[in-house]
Amino acid sequence: MFFSRMLSRKLSAVLVFIPLLVLAGCDDLNPSSADLRADVVPGSDGVQVEQKALDFTLSDTLYTDVTLSSEYPSADAVVLYFTMWCPICDSHMSYMRQYVVTNYPNVKFYFVDYVTGSVSASRQAQQSNGYTDFDVLVDTNHAIQELYNATMGTVIVMDSNGIIKMNEDFKDGSKLQTVLALLP
Amino acid sequence: MLLTKTHLLAASFMLAAGYTGTVNAASCCGGGSASSLILPKFGRQMIDVSLDLESYDGFWNSDAVHVADPPGSSLNQQRLNFGAGYRISSNWQTSIIMPYVWNDNQYAGFSTKTNGLGDAVASIWYEAFDAITCVYKVNSIADLKPSIYYGLSMTLPTGVSPYGDVQNSFDITGRGFYRLDASLLLDKTVFPWNATLQYSYGVYSERPVNREYGNYIEPYDKNLGDRSLLMFSFGYTDQTEKLGTITYTLAYSELEEKTGEIDGQTDPTGGLEKQSLAFTVAMANFDKDWIYKLTYNKATDGTNFPATEIVSLGVSHVFF
Repeated sequence: MFFSRMLSRKLSAVLVFIPLLVLAGCDDLNPSSADLRADVVPGSDGVQVEQKALDFTLSDTLYTDVTLSSEYPSADAVVLYFTMWCPICDSHMSYMRQYVVTNYPNVKFYFVDYVTGSVSASRQAQQSNGYTDFDVLVDTNHAIQELYNATMGTVIVMDSNGIIKMNEDFKDGSKLQTVLALLP
Repeated sequence: MLLTKTHLLAASFMLAAGYTGTVNAASCCGGGSASSLILPKFGRQMIDVSLDLESYDGFWNSDAVHVADPPGSSLNQQRLNFGAGYRISSNWQTSIIMPYVWNDNQYAGFSTKTNGLGDAVASIWYEAFDAITCVYKVNSIADLKPSIYYGLSMTLPTGVSPYGDVQNSFDITGRGFYRLDASLLLDKTVFPWNATLQYSYGVYSERPVNREYGNYIEPYDKNLGDRSLLMFSFGYTDQTEKLGTITYTLAYSELEEKTGEIDGQTDPTGGLEKQSLAFTVAMANFDKDWIYKLTYNKATDGTNFPATEIVSLGVSHVFF
């Protein structure tokens, strides 16, 4: 009985204090619309929009090395999409296949797998998810994902000069379409 | 207040039926949310603690086809839910649930463990009945009258969302949006049988976004789609030798979230569906003020949603 009475009194206090503690430390409770992007020097090396993309070489799932800078001369643009083979990634990749890729035959689209850790496992994931019609780059130790501050759903678009035109989440795909449509 | 055996039985049914558990979560999808908690009639206050052990086994894609996770992966989330309910008056009650979430995701080439608060849920419920409707025998039509509850729940974005200061998708423990749910719950017990039906409809509040996974981006407005949950359950109660009870409950639920909007335009990549089955065994003591629960929940079908299994262990204490 004593235990029950003590708990009962404490409960009222908990009901009041837990929400207050929580409200004190959460950004999402009061979201901001301020544009806080940092200024960058156009053409400088980096991962922000208007910077020169940092170069890398990765193997694809067929064991062919792909070097980013080697792709620019033969394409209007290069698009990287970072996937971890999840429902959201699948939704994005499916949308790209259906509504984006066919409209831009001279743009190179790559999915970057940063979670499976090996070419063979990545190939398996590519096959089981039904994306063998796409080129998948295997970021074995997720170095490129870290280099570009990317995560699930990140899209990076580089023009034929290697200048980054987009580096953000795929969202609904409209930004990707807009960026590609503005390419010369 | 003198409580009759019927009052106590009704209390044990409500608690056993699973109205103190969590609904769903997925670290990559921004889970970690809790549902609501309902006090039994004549219960003054309640505390509830539960532990959810959720594991993922592939997902259903947008065509509702099940797709396996990458080889060598083990994706899990654990949630410790702290809940408290408080009766305001004879027909009104309020509650809050605060989850703490651990994400434990291992791929063959990637491993991460993170933790943080999930999204909290604050609720208020109105009981549209004054007396217990639990009966032992149906003698008239009036005996079939169910207990009716009307509820409003506010989900608060207290978890870690993609729009906060996070490094990657594995850190997420919440969705980042306010949501208001209106609920109707019907509950009927004809001892030893029980049935419940619940329908909830939730609306998210649009919010500005200026950061994704820690990177500041061009600001935009985002909203998630309306959410509906339909659940019904059937239960059976056995009495123990010491006049406690053991209740077995089977529940089926359908969850749907429509596509959301970005800057006022429909996001065709959003939306989800999930159907699941749950089986709960709940033990209550003679006074029905301590209830221990074990639930197994399995997602049976869906679209754009992980295939999950959840084992929940919980204990509730009611102050009559």
